[in-house]
Amino acid sequence: MTTPKYFSSIARFYRERKRLPSYREMLKLTGFRSTNAVYRLVERFRQADLLTKDAAGKLIPGKRFRELRILGTVEAGWPSPAEEELIDTIGLEDWLIHNREATYMLKVSGDSMIDAGIRPGDMLLVERGRTPKEGDVVIAEVDQQWTLKYFQKRGRQTILVAANKKYSPIIPQDELNIAAVVTAVIRKYHT
Amino acid sequence: MKPLSFSRAILHIDGDAFFASCEQARDPALRGKPVITGKERGIAASMSYEAKARGVTRAMALWEIKKLCPDAIILPSDYETYSMLSQRLFSIVRRYTHEVEEYGVDECFADITGYDRPFKKNYTEITKHIQETLRQELGFTFSVGLAPNKVLAKLASKWKKPYGLTVVPETGIAPFLENLPVEKIWGIGGQTAARLARYGIQTALQFARAREDWVKQALERPFHDIWQELNGALVMPLFLEEKTFYGSIQKFKTFTPPSKDPNFIFSQLSKNIENACIKLRRYNQATPRAIFILRTQSFNHSVMEMPFARPTNLPPEILSVARAAFQKIFRKNTLYRATGFTTFNLVPNVLQPDLFLASGKIEKLQKMYASSDKIAAKYGKHSLFLGTSWKAHQFGAHLTERGHEPERKNELFLGESKRKRLGIPMLMGDGI
Repeated sequence: MTTPKYFSSIARFYRERKRLPSYREMLKLTGFRSTNAVYRLVERFRQADLLTKDAAGKLIPGKRFRELRILGTVEAGWPSPAEEELIDTIGLEDWLIHNREATYMLKVSGDSMIDAGIRPGDMLLVERGRTPKEGDVVIAEVDQQWTLKYFQKRGRQTILVAANKKYSPIIPQDELNIAAVVTAVIRKYHT
Repeated sequence: MKPLSFSRAILHIDGDAFFASCEQARDPALRGKPVITGKERGIAASMSYEAKARGVTRAMALWEIKKLCPDAIILPSDYETYSMLSQRLFSIVRRYTHEVEEYGVDECFADITGYDRPFKKNYTEITKHIQETLRQELGFTFSVGLAPNKVLAKLASKWKKPYGLTVVPETGIAPFLENLPVEKIWGIGGQTAARLARYGIQTALQFARAREDWVKQALERPFHDIWQELNGALVMPLFLEEKTFYGSIQKFKTFTPPSKDPNFIFSQLSKNIENACIKLRRYNQATPRAIFILRTQSFNHSVMEMPFARPTNLPPEILSVARAAFQKIFRKNTLYRATGFTTFNLVPNVLQPDLFLASGKIEKLQKMYASSDKIAAKYGKHSLFLGTSWKAHQFGAHLTERGHEPERKNELFLGESKRKRLGIPMLMGDGI
């Protein structure tokens, strides 16, 4: 990412939340791995009057913040309206993935969810640590294997139901380990 | 319960059998079984707690493991996946504090001082929360130490494993150190421990109780730092900077079976040179000189150090020197099993004109490698490589069973290749 792009992502944050990101949030926005790098970036923005500090020492937009937010870029000589519009778009990856650190993928090999439109070869994005809700498609660990099923309740009992008449519901005897909740199914047809 | 006192709240978070746990977390068929990684190296790099219980230790040879534990599951290391999970460890901890020091692939320090108020939790509760989030989102466990500084936090995380949480508040330091051998302390090795033993110091507490003026006079500076931390002070700050400059870069690779073929062996060396140069260029550094190493089947090393015409990170500039070095140290009819390339005294990369090569030529080479790096970014590492490395690329490193590739490299989605895969860890196993 270039410096203008860092600024754009901060400007976008400001537009969405009506406040500036904290240092920790900037770490995430910029993808930097050290806070010092963020400090240095903020210093650059302060020198360029894009950001400044209020009496309490909190970061606030600087004199040129608005002007450049509208231009959409820091270094461009001329405004590019298109770029400002694009600030409000979201990448496919951000759209698909909610909690990046907890998201895993896997490749479907069986046909137990075929009637839910999940076919062998499909890619699943699954999130670990998410609490499953009734009707979610989940990855459970049964007999030392992953299994892909609907998560359903029958009274207080949890059951795992396939989307395929060939398979009968699994009623777990003892503790049931739901490893992850399926958050997306992806099927790619061409390279 | 009285609140525990912490002038500073430092965490050390340490993966429990990290690599083996990465494997067990993605494939439930491995759960509860002795799992060992490091097949490609011929020794155990990491072993699950089930394997540890059977007596398998780190760096144990695979043949020995098979004798000791015939049902051991021995896997090739999947460093790509381990690195992704390592990054996730650091990212998750950074949700709680941005003061995180990435100390190793499977461990980090974190400073949570002052976060008890915003989180409305005491330090122990925050620590538990981090530990539990890691277990839920990564699917395996970490042991954590909470203490007033790094030395005590590192001791605390080792205190109970796996999935331990050990809290050492300032008032609890003495009982914690009482029965701890002094060599368990981070930074105190066998030699120092032997030295201390001569003064009657065997436990960590005895060392902590030593008089400060004696410590300053009889021991070196780092041990005084350790002494102060054992007494509850914080003198070793967390290093928060991402590593962006290297002092030395080395690439050393073994191959099986061993070979006598000079062309093959040189191609291995050539590949190591290209790999080191990729890293040098990534950090925009250059090396003024380098060491070329050949290792024989009987573990003898022939080594040659050579300077370059100018500090460089471009393989063609290194290769002519490498060829001369190779001719000097290579012996006919000798079986070799590894080559190495070590760079040191690294400097920032700048283009200066020099006496022997016209700088125009170097500029062309630099442009070419800039393009090559772009191609690598798009299509994967080693999409372009030198003809001299061809033989090494043709066969992979190992033709024997050590050559087994991680499962992930062969379990590809449309649009992925052996060179380049999606940056998301994959759950594996049958039955999905």
